[in-house]
Amino acid sequence: MSLPGFRRKPKKPVFHVDEKELLCKNGCGFYGNVAWQGLCSKCWREVSQKQREAQIQSDEKLAREIYEKEEALAARSRLPQSSQPEEQLPSEDGTQQMGVGFEKFEGRQQNRNRATSKSLKTILSRSRPVKETADQLSENQSHRKVKRQLSTESRQAKSRFVEYLRRLNRNMAEDIYKQCTELVEKIEQFQERLSIDQVAGKVQDFYAEMGDRIASHHIYQGVTTNQQSSIMDHMEKYLMTRLHRDFFSPADTDDEQKDLAIQNRIRKLHWVTEDMLGAAIEERSVAVSQLIVQAQTELIEMNAKKAPIDKLGCVSRCCKIIFQIVQASQGIPAGADDFLPVLIYLILKANPPQLHSNIQFISRFSSPSRLQSGEVGYFFTNLTCSIMFVENLDAKSLSLTQEEYDDYMSGKLQPAQAAEPICEGLFMMYNNISALEDLRRRQENLMKNAREFSREMEAWKQKVTNQIEDAISSKPLVKKRYSKQPVNIDNDVGEEMKGLPVPMEPQKVN
Amino acid sequence: MSSQASFLNKKLNIGGKRVNIAIWDTAGQERFHALGPIYYRDSNGAILVYDITDEDSFSKVKNWVKELKKMLGNEINLCIAGNKIDLEKQRNVTVADAEEYAQSVGAKHYHTSAKLNKGIEEMFLELSKDMLESSSSDLLGGGSSSGSNARKSKTVTIVDDEAANESSGGGGCC
Repeated sequence: MSLPGFRRKPKKPVFHVDEKELLCKNGCGFYGNVAWQGLCSKCWREVSQKQREAQIQSDEKLAREIYEKEEALAARSRLPQSSQPEEQLPSEDGTQQMGVGFEKFEGRQQNRNRATSKSLKTILSRSRPVKETADQLSENQSHRKVKRQLSTESRQAKSRFVEYLRRLNRNMAEDIYKQCTELVEKIEQFQERLSIDQVAGKVQDFYAEMGDRIASHHIYQGVTTNQQSSIMDHMEKYLMTRLHRDFFSPADTDDEQKDLAIQNRIRKLHWVTEDMLGAAIEERSVAVSQLIVQAQTELIEMNAKKAPIDKLGCVSRCCKIIFQIVQASQGIPAGADDFLPVLIYLILKANPPQLHSNIQFISRFSSPSRLQSGEVGYFFTNLTCSIMFVENLDAKSLSLTQEEYDDYMSGKLQPAQAAEPICEGLFMMYNNISALEDLRRRQENLMKNAREFSREMEAWKQKVTNQIEDAISSKPLVKKRYSKQPVNIDNDVGEEMKGLPVPMEPQKVN
Repeated sequence: MSSQASFLNKKLNIGGKRVNIAIWDTAGQERFHALGPIYYRDSNGAILVYDITDEDSFSKVKNWVKELKKMLGNEINLCIAGNKIDLEKQRNVTVADAEEYAQSVGAKHYHTSAKLNKGIEEMFLELSKDMLESSSSDLLGGGSSSGSNARKSKTVTIVDDEAANESSGGGGCC
């Protein structure tokens, strides 16, 4: 290593920091800190205070926008004429209001002005944000005290929900909104005192009540079954996005520990192959491997969605891809015997985050009709089954001996397939190899047939030659004398030709 | 034909009543046996299928019957189906044995062939009627008469113990 006569000194890392760099960036003379972006504590506090105020202001602006939307909605409902066509109602830009009567236009304008002035006031007196203007709001809006800022998702969900309600009959929209807000209020109010199951019970009761209300209340007259389920879906989506933060994997349950337990369990089972599970999938085909990746993505995506209905959407998309996988691998429609192993295999491969919490959240807060029937119910049941299978998986369920199982678990044994890196290029290669193999087989076959054919041709030629020779030898060529007598056609006229006219002769023209 | 044969929702009109039947297939492999309860809880009926050429599959059906009886009592309508009657010559489970057993556990026995689509529609229809009967008697017992025209969801769980299941898809399309 070291050359003679040259000894390398071990280099010690030396930090060179100027005093300048240590001082506060504001130049106030105090020492700064990296954690405070190079500022001293005093300057940092000032800067961060400003940032926070800006943040609060922008948040409030967003909240105000939502208010205005709702205000407009409420204003609409307060208008005297109700027979206005729905299409003209979305009224953010004035052009759409051409057909609307002027009084209405003016009325709405006033309302909007009121909304704006209200929110201006709100900013000016931030100490009492909404309370002061509460008397100006209609009754159903008085409860909208913002106790804390909503998350971005909740805000988006809310504006989408409001957008959806706008398309409905205004009485209905108002009632739905009122019911939903009351529920959220009620839950948020008693949040600390209620257990998660009680909250779930409240939400489930709410679904049932709303179902009955829509079926019986006079406001909802003429609502079709499809509309009803669409209303319920939108309501569920909004409510659950709103409540997700507080009631997904809540602290007073052991959901989080179970999530981690399952995640570890799946990680330990990385060696399980599709063969051990009895899942017949042709993973080397490019099409199937792409489907597998898609299905895994859906499973992982489930955690990113907020509302149970969206989470279930991911589950059912994943399951539908599984049907395609089975179809592509085996060429027959998938029964449960084929479906379940593939689902389990995918769960083991994907290791979706917070699996247990997601399942709990869905079963607590999804509307029961969805989970009990239909394809979604079937898929969800299968998902639950698969997780249970993974939790209780042992040597017997993989058709392994206990020793083999232990060896795999301890890492002594590695499955054959796991050694192969899984990448697109390799899949292509496998595919090409099998295609070439196939071509070679066909080529060989062709050559064999060609040779066979030429042999046959040879044999046939031989046979024909032999036959001809036989024929020649059996009937040797004998030359017969042939005597030909000259015949004069014109002279030789028989008896029957006597009555006929004389043959025509060409006319000679001078 | 659909790309899956795992579940089917079927709307039927039985005696003027609209019923919605959800037919679910369950994985029959031994390794998934323990998951059974998740599938069959809340179900009103079950169809247990065995292969008439395979005596082993019939004894598995017996195990399933025991389990279902234990877990759900008499609330569930049971059907036992001897499938593959197109292979009558290779029969290993006698008709007398099967029917006698079915009677002893209060189940109905059917002879079916999924391959030839024989006896399946009849079985589903009979089972639906039975399920409707037992659930509407429950409703009357509960004193609720308005419930009879409400749509009730029934679940049929198919526990399939055939070794090779050629066309359970045909079986679903009743």
